[in-house]
Amino acid sequence: MPLVELIDHRSAPLLLRELFGGDDPGPIVGALAQVPELCLVTLPFVGAALGPSHVPLRWKEIAILRTSALLGCRYCVDAHTVVALDAGLAAEEVATLRCERPDTATFTDPVERALVAWIDEVATGRGPVPDHVGAELRRHLDDHTIVELTVTVGATLLLNRFATALCLPSSPATLQRLAAEGFR
Amino acid sequence: MSVAEAVQAGTLPGRVWFYSNYHCNLACTYCLTESAPSARRRVLAPATIIELAGQARRLGFTDLGITGGEPFLLPSLPELLTELAQVLPTVVLSNGTLFTEARIARLAPLAGLPLAIQISLDAPDPERNDELRGPENFAKVAAAVPQLVRAGIRVRVATTVEPDRLDEADHARLCELHRSWGVPDEDHLVRPVIRRGRADESGMGVVFDHSQIPAELTITADGSFWSPFGPTVRQGRLDTDLLLTRTVDPLSRPAEALLALVGGLPAGADAQIGIR
Ligand code: SF4
Repeated sequence: MPLVELIDHRSAPLLLRELFGGDDPGPIVGALAQVPELCLVTLPFVGAALGPSHVPLRWKEIAILRTSALLGCRYCVDAHTVVALDAGLAAEEVATLRCERPDTATFTDPVERALVAWIDEVATGRGPVPDHVGAELRRHLDDHTIVELTVTVGATLLLNRFATALCLPSSPATLQRLAAEGFR
Repeated sequence: MSVAEAVQAGTLPGRVWFYSNYHCNLACTYCLTESAPSARRRVLAPATIIELAGQARRLGFTDLGITGGEPFLLPSLPELLTELAQVLPTVVLSNGTLFTEARIARLAPLAGLPLAIQISLDAPDPERNDELRGPENFAKVAAAVPQLVRAGIRVRVATTVEPDRLDEADHARLCELHRSWGVPDEDHLVRPVIRRGRADESGMGVVFDHSQIPAELTITADGSFWSPFGPTVRQGRLDTDLLLTRTVDPLSRPAEALLALVGGLPAGADAQIGIR
């Protein structure tokens, strides 16, 4: 049970009617819709931070799924396991990102290895990220890509704690797909 | 277009409403807000109302309204109204049942100020009026209105009816009554029951789309709404379909959100259903 009432399309506030478009847009929007003016600015930000951009979607999904798993966010791990599979990540890679494997050896590409190490430090570390982790990432990626992926991790952290604190439920369609893919 | 320009051009209604509270000594069958003595009070602090009323004037709004619940259940209402009427012309909606001599005496400073008390009366006889609005309602209203008029306070009489249910004879009797109390014809209005809140539960009233009701900015303890018909309550739950913003201070936030929505209405949309 969610901690707060999720607003459905019949109760969609005026400022959000277009966004709801006559459907229920999922529990994150349903909860955010409690504060329409906040929902209106949060969604474009989250969309830009997590959605398609000049950074490869595969890298973004690595950032989102790994962060969500490290934070223990059931809702986001469920949802982004499906998105990651759809983005072309292999089942073993997804299992690694979900912290279901003891190490990250599945990832052999040095860029992605550097990226996962960066995500692990940014998402769960306290204080500065170790110099060598940042330096290794910078050997492979330019500044604006590092900035964007760091924002992706940060926006994911926000959603992770939001979804976890408010006990947002995964959709039946997501749960079904996870079962079919062997992730439940 | 600024709020002031929109109000001057008639694009945006000039009145800002405040829900002072949601509880009421009555529990009418068609109440939009499920008000009753035990209803959640959701009081908007008088200091907040005064602050936002000042902002409303600075933004270019021209009138204020206070509604509820029954506003006169708030002990400090007479003083609040005196302050508000000095900011902008104000109308306050009331069920008219709480006007004891002592309370009318406290309203003396309102005489001569641009303030009207709008009192509900739904039928020209006690039986049918009281069936909707509760025992002795008719008698209390019939006693209060002439006293308020004598005290120099402008009174309006509002008749809320099921659409097309008020026949001519009843209408004529209601008019005789309000004239005999000193309320002129221009201060009597007849408006339809709106199908929200308890009226929806009882299957009463007209269904409407928000484009059919004036976009009067309405401030409550729970946020801002499109029209005083917006912050209705059904089965204890506040309706959010006409919610604008939770932020009400600064008032420019909800005012600009409302203005943007009004600008997006299809051409020819005509707001016909009013509370006042
Ligand atoms: S309609 Fe007015 S008087 Fe009747 S219960 Fe509701 S708030 Fe009170």
